[in-house]
Amino acid sequence: MNGFFTKYKNKKDGVIRGYDISSTSVKIACIIIMLICLAIVLFSVFPIIWVFLASFKDIKEFNRNVTILPDVYDFSRLKATWNAFSFPKFYRNSLIMVLGCILTSVFFNGLLAYALAILKPKGHNVVFLLVMWSLLIPSSTNIIALFRNINILNLNGTFFPLWLAYGANAFYIVLFKEFFEGIPKELLEAGKLDGAGVMKIFTAIILPLSKPIIMVVAIFAVTAAWSDFLLPYLVLKGTNYETVMVKLFSFKDTPTDAVSVLRACLFAIIPPTIIFALFQRQITDGAAAGAVKG
Amino acid sequence: MVKKKSFKRQDLWGWLIMLPSLILFGFYVWEPLFENVRLSLHNSIRYEVLDFVGFDNYRRVLASPDFIAAFRNTFSYTLWSLVIGYLVPIFLGIIISETVHMKGFFRTGIYFPNIVPGIATIWIWNYFFTPGATGVLNIILGKLGVAPLEWLNNTHWTIPLIVVTMTWKSAGSTALIYMANISAISPDLYEAATIDGAGIWKRIFHITIPSVFSLAKTLLILQVISVFQILYEPMVLKNGGPNNASISLMMLQYRYAFRDFDFSGGAALSVMICIILIILSGLYMKLTRSKED
Amino acid sequence: MAKKLLSVLVATSMMAAMLAGCSGKAESTETPAASTVESVAETSTEETAEPVEITLGIWPEDTLTADIEIYEGYVETMKGLHPEVTCTPAYYKYATDTFMPMVEAKTVPTVFETWFTEPKKLIANGAVADITEELKARGWLDKMNPSIKALLSDDYGNVYGVPRDGYALGLMCNVELFEEAGLVDENGYPLFPTSMEDLAEKAKIIKEKTGAAGLCLLAKDNAGGWHFSNIAWNFGATELCKDNLDGTFTANLASPEAIKAMEFVKSLKWDYDVLTADPTNEDWGTGFMQLGTGAAAMYIGANDAVAQPTQVNGLPVDKLAMCAIPAAEGCDQYSLFGGTPYMFSKESTPEQINAALDFLEIIGKAPVATDEAIAGMKAGAQNNVDNGVPVISSFPCWTAEDYLTAQAAVVEEYSNVDPKMFDSYFNATKTSGLHPEEPGSTQDMYAELTKVLQEVLTNKDADVAALMAQANANYQAILDATFTK
Repeated sequence: MNGFFTKYKNKKDGVIRGYDISSTSVKIACIIIMLICLAIVLFSVFPIIWVFLASFKDIKEFNRNVTILPDVYDFSRLKATWNAFSFPKFYRNSLIMVLGCILTSVFFNGLLAYALAILKPKGHNVVFLLVMWSLLIPSSTNIIALFRNINILNLNGTFFPLWLAYGANAFYIVLFKEFFEGIPKELLEAGKLDGAGVMKIFTAIILPLSKPIIMVVAIFAVTAAWSDFLLPYLVLKGTNYETVMVKLFSFKDTPTDAVSVLRACLFAIIPPTIIFALFQRQITDGAAAGAVKG
Repeated sequence: MVKKKSFKRQDLWGWLIMLPSLILFGFYVWEPLFENVRLSLHNSIRYEVLDFVGFDNYRRVLASPDFIAAFRNTFSYTLWSLVIGYLVPIFLGIIISETVHMKGFFRTGIYFPNIVPGIATIWIWNYFFTPGATGVLNIILGKLGVAPLEWLNNTHWTIPLIVVTMTWKSAGSTALIYMANISAISPDLYEAATIDGAGIWKRIFHITIPSVFSLAKTLLILQVISVFQILYEPMVLKNGGPNNASISLMMLQYRYAFRDFDFSGGAALSVMICIILIILSGLYMKLTRSKED
Repeated sequence: MAKKLLSVLVATSMMAAMLAGCSGKAESTETPAASTVESVAETSTEETAEPVEITLGIWPEDTLTADIEIYEGYVETMKGLHPEVTCTPAYYKYATDTFMPMVEAKTVPTVFETWFTEPKKLIANGAVADITEELKARGWLDKMNPSIKALLSDDYGNVYGVPRDGYALGLMCNVELFEEAGLVDENGYPLFPTSMEDLAEKAKIIKEKTGAAGLCLLAKDNAGGWHFSNIAWNFGATELCKDNLDGTFTANLASPEAIKAMEFVKSLKWDYDVLTADPTNEDWGTGFMQLGTGAAAMYIGANDAVAQPTQVNGLPVDKLAMCAIPAAEGCDQYSLFGGTPYMFSKESTPEQINAALDFLEIIGKAPVATDEAIAGMKAGAQNNVDNGVPVISSFPCWTAEDYLTAQAAVVEEYSNVDPKMFDSYFNATKTSGLHPEEPGSTQDMYAELTKVLQEVLTNKDADVAALMAQANANYQAILDATFTK
């Protein structure tokens, strides 16, 4: 038990400091806090575990049995739904969508931030203000006019309007801008003295230094693009390019049995979960660090 | 002279580099804003804009039987999200900062719901909230010997519970921001306070909370703006019901545009939502500024 | 960091490769269907000079694998008869809030199904194709039931759709639950409810004896109001919306009869307590799930949806029975009569429309009795038999004698159910009692009624009369705004 508390001696943040831990009431408080945190994590994770469990049920069992656990763990049921929906198709489309969104997120927002943070052409303050204001504009109220414009340009049924939408993101621009402003001026000056042009400085000096922030933006873009549904639904519905989310959103209008819907949800959760498992450190750090400044 | 010339060149380059992104901003953000205003002042068949009709569309939308409910509910969502959704991450941030064991696990655990796509979470919660014996939450309550609850069908609880599902999804990521903020607080502050005899509670209220206050202020307005646009949660969960208890302004806008083919009405509603949010943002800025003075 | 970025890329590209592998495998082994359709496309384009491509919104839903196989068979036949046509499956279930975005995005399938309440609105919005010429050339115009033709036409007599078939709402019963509750006669036939009051009592017996809900009532979306309008008629509120014949309509939702009907619904929840756990979350599809899985004993459904409880939700074919929706004591019985038209994307060329009409012939849903059409009907019926779906008659919307005879013969030949299980239902619809859907802005009326349903089913103290008066006022406002412009 004492081992449990020795670690508290080196506690670096929070209200309870290392020197508090000798008191019994603080020790009890630490244990209670530990238990609360465990309960919170259980609450956070349980719904996701439940989808996995419920996916094994058949329709009658799901609708009538008062149980959390399925009677049998039969993977062939999952496979049947997988095949019936031809899920690989939706995965492929979502992947195309996500990869394109990463590129546009990094490229367009990075370029604009480069101009705002380093080149600072005349009038850049106005541009920055316009960009910041767009954070305050309710993006989804634009959807009617935006959808109309997409149709006028005949871009419906393609990924282009979806990819490019990620190229105009004020939040990513702020992230890039903050980062670029932290790059030592001497490096840029040295580049200029070597006769490097504006684009050369961007590609040869700034981009290689910006990998951490590119990673953060890419991760944000992956999560956002994988989950995005409203514009993809309007633009891709009824084409061969429907993404996983378009399919999930369509279930609200189609008579599909509840278990198939749940299994589709499970399939939709698996890829981000794998990515999260691989990069949890970067993702949680990025989420914290990224938004502090924004 | 030479210097000035190169300065201009740099300007041109700067604008050239900004141009592609600015076009995108124009297409996705600014142009639709003005286009909405234009659409809202005309009548239309499908997307064809016909005659100028002044404020007729606005009048029609305001007179719609669902407008009052949607308007009231949208504010209700916002208020509840300030009560639940806004405070929970602060609490989470503070409490997880107090652990030393399994901290990484807690961080990962609370962030996990954030990576689950929103539509999937809503489908999942839909089955959690099923009334009757087979709903997941009622199964759990049943094991504890509690009678099944009505959940979303109790209209007093519809909106708060929908806010709970939104909080479940997003609180973790916001909590991480608060945690980063909390761990950046200088240990000297705590030490000085301890020497002055401040207990743990006093330190929370006099050091931790004031330190995250400015962050919390920024997140407040962002939260209001995002919750004000709530759309798919009530749409998938209850289709706006029971009896309009969960319909939101954005949902009404979606119905105008995509169910009733009434793009002018939808655009008029969009413009109204925009104006409300601009007023709210303005109020917020005025309030926070006057406090700083 | 460079390493990590690299590993992201590697991971994603690996995933891409994996998926490509999966999908290739799935296509070749699991769904031979998809590849056949594609090969059809390839060969046909090689053979003819002017290929026509059509997308079929009438394709079966993804999980109905057996039905999909049948449709692949139809595509094969199509390929034989019309090698120039490429058919692409594009399952689409019509929904009011998805259709318009698809029109704008030009992604509407060449041919799709909708409901009889929709054509007027779709025609007025220019969202569907005029197919008068194509129908005239085929001689189908005169074979269409005139009142149904009127539904599918604009004011100038141009026709925009062809009917698949009609349906009449009835009461579907889960015979297993009736047996369990002892509600069967000496021959084992379910004791159908004879009146609304009797329905409530029988539902109560079922709930007490089996624990399952007696009745599944819908209150999530417009389908709730749709079902309720039939209940209201059977309480004597036979005119919920009055056509003033001058282009305007008068809402009539607050009549004493309609209020009585709503009071009855309320009592089903709060006095009898015989409904499923959450009617406000039940829609057309979940209702069949409740019935099929034995969570509810009765559900309002139509003859064209018998695959839903059986094939989709697992009810054995001999355990489904249907009777007419009973009337309240002292009132006349009505069955809501509606139907499913096929309509065509406004982007379609005449060639595409003709190809789609050819496809309808092959699946046996057009007024022709060619060998292929009969083979199509038989294939459909055989598929129903194989999947435990009752093969029963439909309500034809065509007057072509040979077609009707052929259809009846196929139903006779493939019959897999005891006709007595459906007698009560078909007798009621034969005698009188067929009531078309209300005129006016029908979906809006359903929406208003659904709101009242949601209120009375979640609020024990709801004031029904006041709610109906409010709904009436709301609906009248919509009617005034829509029809007096």
